[in-house]
Amino acid sequence: MKTLLVAEFREGKLRAEYTQLIAFAQQQQTEAAMFVVGSSAELPRFNGTLYLADVAQYGEYNPTVHKQLLLEIIAKEQPEQIVFLHSSYGWDLAPRIAVALKAAQIAEVVAIEEGLPVIPVCNAKLRRKIKVTTTQTVLTLQAGAFGLDEEPAGTPTVVSIETAASGKVQCTGYEAATIGGVDLTKAEVIVSAGRGVGKPENVAMVQALAQALGGEYGASRPVVDSGWVDHNRQVGTTGSTVTPKLYVACGISGAIQHLAGMKKSDFIVAINTDKDAPIGEVANVLVVADLKQFLPVLTEKLKAR
Amino acid sequence: MKILICIKQVPDMESKFKINGEGNWYDRADLAWRMNEYDEYAVEQGVRLKEQVKDADLTVLCIGPDQVTETMKKALAMGCDRGVHIADADSYKREPIEIASMIAGFAKDKNFDIIFTGMQSQDRGSAQVGVMVAELLGIPAITTIVGFAFDNGTVQVKRELEGGSKALVSSPTPIVLTCQLGLNTPRYPTLPNIMKAKKKELLSLSPDTGGIGPRQETAAFYFPEKKGGGLVLEGDVAELADKLIQLLKEKTGVLA
Amino acid sequence: MEFTREIYWNVGHGFTTLAPMYGLLLVALTVFVLGFLKRIKVYRLGQPLDRTSQRGERIKLMLENVLLQTKVFRVPGSGTAHALFFWSFFVLVIGTSLIVAQADFTDLFFGVKFLKGTFYKLFSLTLDLAGMVAIVMLAGLLVRRYLVRPEGLVTKGDDALMHGLLFAILITGFLIEGARMAVTEMGTPLAGWSPVGLVVAKLLTGVGEPGLRTLHIGLWWFHLLLALGFVAVIPFSKFRHIVTTSANAFLADRGPTGKLTTVNLEDENTEKFGANELTDLRWKDIFDADACTLCKRCQDRCPAFTTGKPLSPMRLVNQIGEIAFTDPQANLIDTIGREAIWACTTCRACQDICPASIEHVDKIIEMRRNLVLMEGEFPGDEVMAAMEQTEVNGNPLGMGYASRGDWAIDLGIKTLAEDSEVDLLYFVGCYASFDKRNIAVAKSFVKLCQAAGVKIGILGKEEKCCGEPMRKMGNEYLYQTLAMETVEIIKGYGVKKIVTTCPHCFNTLTKDYRDFDFDIEVLSHAVFLEQLIASGRLPIKAESFACTYHDSCYLGRHNDIYDAPRNLIRAAGGQITEMAKHRDQAFCCSAGGGRIMAEEKLGERINIKRIQMAVATGANQLLSNCPFCLTMFEDGVKGANVEEQVRPRDIAEILAERL
Repeated sequence: MKTLLVAEFREGKLRAEYTQLIAFAQQQQTEAAMFVVGSSAELPRFNGTLYLADVAQYGEYNPTVHKQLLLEIIAKEQPEQIVFLHSSYGWDLAPRIAVALKAAQIAEVVAIEEGLPVIPVCNAKLRRKIKVTTTQTVLTLQAGAFGLDEEPAGTPTVVSIETAASGKVQCTGYEAATIGGVDLTKAEVIVSAGRGVGKPENVAMVQALAQALGGEYGASRPVVDSGWVDHNRQVGTTGSTVTPKLYVACGISGAIQHLAGMKKSDFIVAINTDKDAPIGEVANVLVVADLKQFLPVLTEKLKAR
Repeated sequence: MKILICIKQVPDMESKFKINGEGNWYDRADLAWRMNEYDEYAVEQGVRLKEQVKDADLTVLCIGPDQVTETMKKALAMGCDRGVHIADADSYKREPIEIASMIAGFAKDKNFDIIFTGMQSQDRGSAQVGVMVAELLGIPAITTIVGFAFDNGTVQVKRELEGGSKALVSSPTPIVLTCQLGLNTPRYPTLPNIMKAKKKELLSLSPDTGGIGPRQETAAFYFPEKKGGGLVLEGDVAELADKLIQLLKEKTGVLA
Repeated sequence: MEFTREIYWNVGHGFTTLAPMYGLLLVALTVFVLGFLKRIKVYRLGQPLDRTSQRGERIKLMLENVLLQTKVFRVPGSGTAHALFFWSFFVLVIGTSLIVAQADFTDLFFGVKFLKGTFYKLFSLTLDLAGMVAIVMLAGLLVRRYLVRPEGLVTKGDDALMHGLLFAILITGFLIEGARMAVTEMGTPLAGWSPVGLVVAKLLTGVGEPGLRTLHIGLWWFHLLLALGFVAVIPFSKFRHIVTTSANAFLADRGPTGKLTTVNLEDENTEKFGANELTDLRWKDIFDADACTLCKRCQDRCPAFTTGKPLSPMRLVNQIGEIAFTDPQANLIDTIGREAIWACTTCRACQDICPASIEHVDKIIEMRRNLVLMEGEFPGDEVMAAMEQTEVNGNPLGMGYASRGDWAIDLGIKTLAEDSEVDLLYFVGCYASFDKRNIAVAKSFVKLCQAAGVKIGILGKEEKCCGEPMRKMGNEYLYQTLAMETVEIIKGYGVKKIVTTCPHCFNTLTKDYRDFDFDIEVLSHAVFLEQLIASGRLPIKAESFACTYHDSCYLGRHNDIYDAPRNLIRAAGGQITEMAKHRDQAFCCSAGGGRIMAEEKLGERINIKRIQMAVATGANQLLSNCPFCLTMFEDGVKGANVEEQVRPRDIAEILAERL
């Protein structure tokens, strides 16, 4: 089986997530080539052919042109699988390739089981395993579903490619993520403080953990009501209803308004001294521990990684 | 100006899901239904655009069994002018390319300037249909928009990227735009508009994929093992931290 | 000798007295009538509303309110002073009228005099004392208003006019009496029957008769002018409350308490819902502004106002009056302010205490209806989300509707769909269906029913929110949708009796649903459990404990159920230490009026304030009867950092522990 991996380049940098593509190819033990509209100054660590189109010429987001470049490589390489990340670049480009190739497309693959891709359905409540009936398949991989155990190594054999195609869509620049004004509904990781933190000074431990996890911190209504945490960080039906990839509830017993506001999170960790607190019913993992002892240790270990 | 808005009716994600008899999708019993959340932003953006340019006609299109007209009524109440229902009781089995073909088949001779839709559906979540419609129609598509402006035949949008930054993108019309959550604040329909919606035109069409058939089949449909399975961790603080980090690595993408 | 006096003494009873006197009276009355006619024109800007049904009851209520000052009397201090002033001034008016009646009518035409003998002595004494009481009370009120200056009391030019005019009338009255007595009654046995007049007379004796006569006649005319001026100025000053507040007692809403008017949503000709202009309100809403005396009782009790939110029920009512009389085209909602409109918890503390029968809550609901139904506006996105959740899943929490009955699995109760042969339907409500804390209450209630041998059923996944929070937030459309579905389902099972553990469901089912042809008996769990205990069906093992009890707004003020829950607590062995604000004066938990769905962004937290009141009693349990209250208190004890000091519980839980 032959696989073409599609790496991404954004804001002058090769996106490090390309390693997940390599991890996928290694796991499938398939022969792989890689494609990127990028720069020879930022090459992936990868042993194999790298089809490289110059980003200076073809742009970082220019779907029609990138599609054309890819289709030319596909025509030449004839891969059975064309693999993207399920990202703003991947889900934008992949369907264009699938339509052009009349190939099946499978989005947000979380695993390959018995040779068949598995994808989530209904907010990951259900799973679907798919059998493809076309000779070529376009796949996008869920972020983080495939990972390398060690740092990638190698040097690609670079093949420069060109096209005369042009597109109507123009990317004119980037807008940096807003700092300051917090929007919890957009956060991928949220660590929230409940009354179990005990006193306002301990909110800092929650903030530190949020930082170590690269996320935002939030709070339950009583904590906000006590004035320990600002209003716009309140999680719950009377604050923000959130759906992060990871939600860590620290010392939150789980009043209904809070539960209804966070239980759609992908993965919920509750840290609590009370095993029977309602939060336990929605948590994937309940850590029974004293926050004041546990949080600093966890934060240190995360930082040390 | 002609605008098409493609919406989908989906079960509320809080519903108790069961697997259907065929073992290829969820059972329809005991589900609460609603408009796909992403599509609500699409409808809102269409209505806002009409408010901006004044002279515009908004068609809302939905594919599915007869009950989807309930959801279409909400779009009509929000401000769409007419509805097109592609009556297809089997829509749940359709692949994105089949759905896209039906939409493109309807839209191909209608000269829509802008087609808005959600960037994905909450149930199937393929994020493919919008782009495929554009490809089939041979017009540009921009996905995952969180900002929109229209002036003089050109759209200026912001695409949401990973990590919170945004790409500023422009394109001439006609175009397909797929909407991300947060693009706007979908309005709550007013009562006079709910009443008016009941009288708006609602065309019913039969499904036609233009000969495009399935390219994949469902080999299995099942509930995943519960992540962590409501795991309770107790013991030494340092060991607990190690165990939790290991779990986060295995079960979530956040430490990758 | 005959005890009496010469009426029109020193003034004369001829044409030169009577003509100007009655001429001026006619002028005063004309001004009075024209003044009110002008105001009536403004009242009529409002929508029609019939408030003349049950005329006998209305008249009775008005007489009670006016003559007995029942509502005024509810607040000691200023209320007492007002009542005493009113009664004494009323006596003076009657007395003066009797004098006129005898001199210019019975005596003039029929030669009948009745102001004589013992009656005259008592008459004289009564009026004399009444004058004294009136002066003392008025002085007390003056000290309160101008020296004590209670917080929030609005003092305007009107108040100075009122105090000044009333003092002048009362004091000139005594001076006239004193001057007359100094000339005619000194040393007679009659003088003692006018003790205050006698004191004044003694002070005046040095003046000499000619001086006294001049003083008397001058003051007599001055007093007459003041009194007629008083009549004329009524429509143009706060004095108008004498007419409007009295009339408002007649016009008051006759209930059921807290039932909202059901909007006809089927009428195709209606293009506007709710109120954003003065003319959308009912005429009574404008009249209310004229009936308001700015006594600020509503404001003092308003949970929103007292926690620093921009709502004062008093200001709101008067803003309506202001634009009615100055700028009727003004946008009502912009005038009042959205934050004020959304801040109301519909606790009814304002309306309940109002001595002027003003209906604050309906006005707020009408404006909310306009914002929601016409603009799609809510106090925040979280409220809009709750509305959408309710549309989809039938509960504002957004929990999957099919799991609504899951809490009752394994409790030995069935849904009506499974078995509709039950003694009663337990209408569970959203919180007791989905919230773990309130599920504990539902389970306790089930346990109590089972102990009493009562067979109950639930609707399970067929039950939906009763629509109360949505309705109070102004979403009449969603409310009616929910109400009609619920009515149809319950009626479909031929249910005879319903019990709720939520006062909001209770009030809605028992009152608001009447408009949907729903007349099934509904009981609150407090009343139902009290009946079970009283009839001996539910044996409770009393076990002593200390607690305080919170009257929920919807069981208390909305339904006058104050004793049943207290009896239950006593039956369980509880000793209640009441909070300062209890029974009809109870302070809201913050969750009414649909605020349960909203974030409290402004001012202090209402629930924390209430929790602090509970802590002040020293009791370590705070009992209540409402899932919203319980939810707010569970948050409140954490927010106030008193988790160790006071534990919020429902009465049903206490009882279930003592089976």
